[in-house]
Amino acid sequence: MRWLALIWKSLMRSKRRTLLIVGSLVLSVFTVAVLQSLLTTLNAVTDNPNSSNRLVVRHKSGLTQMLPRAYEAFLRQQPEIETVCALQWFGGYYQDPRNFFANFASDEATIFQTFREEFGVANLTEAQIKDYLRDGAGCIVGASLAKKNGWKVGDVVPLTGTIFPINPRLTIRLIYKSPKPSDENVLHFHYKLLEEGVPRMKGLVGSFWVRAHRPEDIPRLIERVDRHYANSAYETLTETENAFNLAFVKMLGNIGAIIQGITAAVVVAILIVTGNTMATAIRERTTEIAVFRAMGFSASRVLSLLLAEGVLLVGVGGSLGVLLANLAAGAVRGSLGAAMPFFADFAILPATVLACMTGALGIGVLATFIPAYAATRRPITDGLKAIG
Amino acid sequence: MNTDRFDLGGGEPIITLRDIAKSYWREELEIPVLQGIDLEIPAGAYIALMGPSGSGKTTLLNLLAGIDRPTGGSLEVCGHELNDLDDDQLAAWRNAHVGFIFQNYNLVPVLNAFENVELPLLITGAGRGERRDRVDQVLQLVNLTDQMFNYPRQLSGGQEQRVAIARAIVTDPDLLVADEPTGALDAKNAEEVLALMERLNRELGKTIVMVTHDPKAAHHARHQIHLEKGVLDRTVEVNR
Ligand SMILES: Nc1ncnc2c1ncn2[C@@H]1O[C@H](COP(=O)(O)OP(=O)(O)OP(=O)(O)O)[C@@H](O)[C@H]1O
Ligand SMILES: [Mg+2]
Repeated sequence: MRWLALIWKSLMRSKRRTLLIVGSLVLSVFTVAVLQSLLTTLNAVTDNPNSSNRLVVRHKSGLTQMLPRAYEAFLRQQPEIETVCALQWFGGYYQDPRNFFANFASDEATIFQTFREEFGVANLTEAQIKDYLRDGAGCIVGASLAKKNGWKVGDVVPLTGTIFPINPRLTIRLIYKSPKPSDENVLHFHYKLLEEGVPRMKGLVGSFWVRAHRPEDIPRLIERVDRHYANSAYETLTETENAFNLAFVKMLGNIGAIIQGITAAVVVAILIVTGNTMATAIRERTTEIAVFRAMGFSASRVLSLLLAEGVLLVGVGGSLGVLLANLAAGAVRGSLGAAMPFFADFAILPATVLACMTGALGIGVLATFIPAYAATRRPITDGLKAIG
Repeated sequence: MNTDRFDLGGGEPIITLRDIAKSYWREELEIPVLQGIDLEIPAGAYIALMGPSGSGKTTLLNLLAGIDRPTGGSLEVCGHELNDLDDDQLAAWRNAHVGFIFQNYNLVPVLNAFENVELPLLITGAGRGERRDRVDQVLQLVNLTDQMFNYPRQLSGGQEQRVAIARAIVTDPDLLVADEPTGALDAKNAEEVLALMERLNRELGKTIVMVTHDPKAAHHARHQIHLEKGVLDRTVEVNR
């Protein structure tokens, strides 16, 4: 018999109790891992390093209001600005309304410059880009979106509009790879198609995505653009891309506080449950602990054995919980990922795994240490007299 | 007190108690349990410790087995002055020198007979093979080789106590202490256990101190010591 066998057999003393406690641990760790990862994913949306010199100019009154496309001329005149891309959320679907993904009408002339990291432009050839620019009914799609639908270059993708009353038939001219999975679940087509198909969109656009030469210029630019259009018919709200995304995420409510609240509640609950279970399990073994010590096991050795049991218990529960969370994250990426771009990046990050395992171990040590320490402080003669 | 009254035969003493006292305190009130115990037990002795309930037998046994500490006096057991050892040293000393046999056997229910016997060896530093040999040897001695993979619940009371005895001797201690080892057994099984203990004393030279209420059990010992209200009363040599 080895130490680990002794520890394992002691744990399996009451299989039902061990199963119950491992089960609650799995559930708690799973819940916390998934919720925390959701939070990290949402935070990542608002913390994109590529976007540090990008700005979004939109209507001050909200996302559904339009701006004149003529504003582009003023923006281009600003020396700090490298390029400007007019961009409109189209909101169409392919074949089935549930088959939903991000699609935009955008200015084909500047899109590759504005989002060069997202489109992996360094890996694209001039010819590929030209194919798209030449075909007014062409579109570009991310690799994972193409893969999911079995699309290849040259295929025709009919989109059904939901916001706008047109159903463009688009020919795929380019499939791009992106460093971030969420950026690959996107389709862009020529802005003119929208402008010419929808009369009310003539000369209007939802937003301008502006790329500045240097991040330091951004505060100055924001101030200048918004001041320029103050008191005009179309007042602007200019903000960093991260701030813009944050506003979008904020529509989901104060998710951060809710998630932290739930996490705290789960941690406290599982600490109480584990602590109570370990206390009962150790109390039942009062005589046995005394016998071990009579045989020559020192108090600290008995304490270590009991702690090892607690650690093994939470180790198993925690690992299973994390594993399950990982499987769930994969499922989320595969399903919701296409509909809501940021879910394509949904993953249980190593930092979250580490935090969950550390938390679980902390709970195991704390929950075991208190009753185990008390048990090993108790006189041996007392323990031998105890019933049990 | 005069130790002459408690002549347990010659030989080097393995246990020497000098003026041992043990009291408990309930609030400010001192409750003396043992007083002025002077006793020398020679190596190889087999002693039955007798006396009425509450006279302090278990208390005395626990003191000389090193799982309790006296409130006064000194005790030298197996070459060590126990008062000088700290708790960890005392634990190591017990592992090396003392085997415990309890009334309720106190086997670990989730371990089989073999593993139960192996337990005290886990902290001796003995290797796997050495441990297995030792366990095989003592299980053979208590005649339970064929039950070694059975769990305590699959054994009879008598078999459980024999496993417990095997566990007590597996580290080859000099001293065995037994508190009512036959208290939970029927006559036949008690007889078997007592015969086994007698063999351990005669053939392996183990010093045994056994607390018992049962005169028949006490008769297996070579000497009887009587405690009366915490004081040694008389010694009777059992003629065999
Ligand atoms: N932890 C304790 N606290 C207070 N008093 C105790 C404690 N342990 C034992 N005593 C008292 O010490 C006295 C002797 O107890 P002990 O267990 O040694 O008796 P015993 O001779 O073994 O009796 P029995 O034959 O019933 O087992 C008893 O009066 C008992 O109440
Ligand atoms: Mg007693």
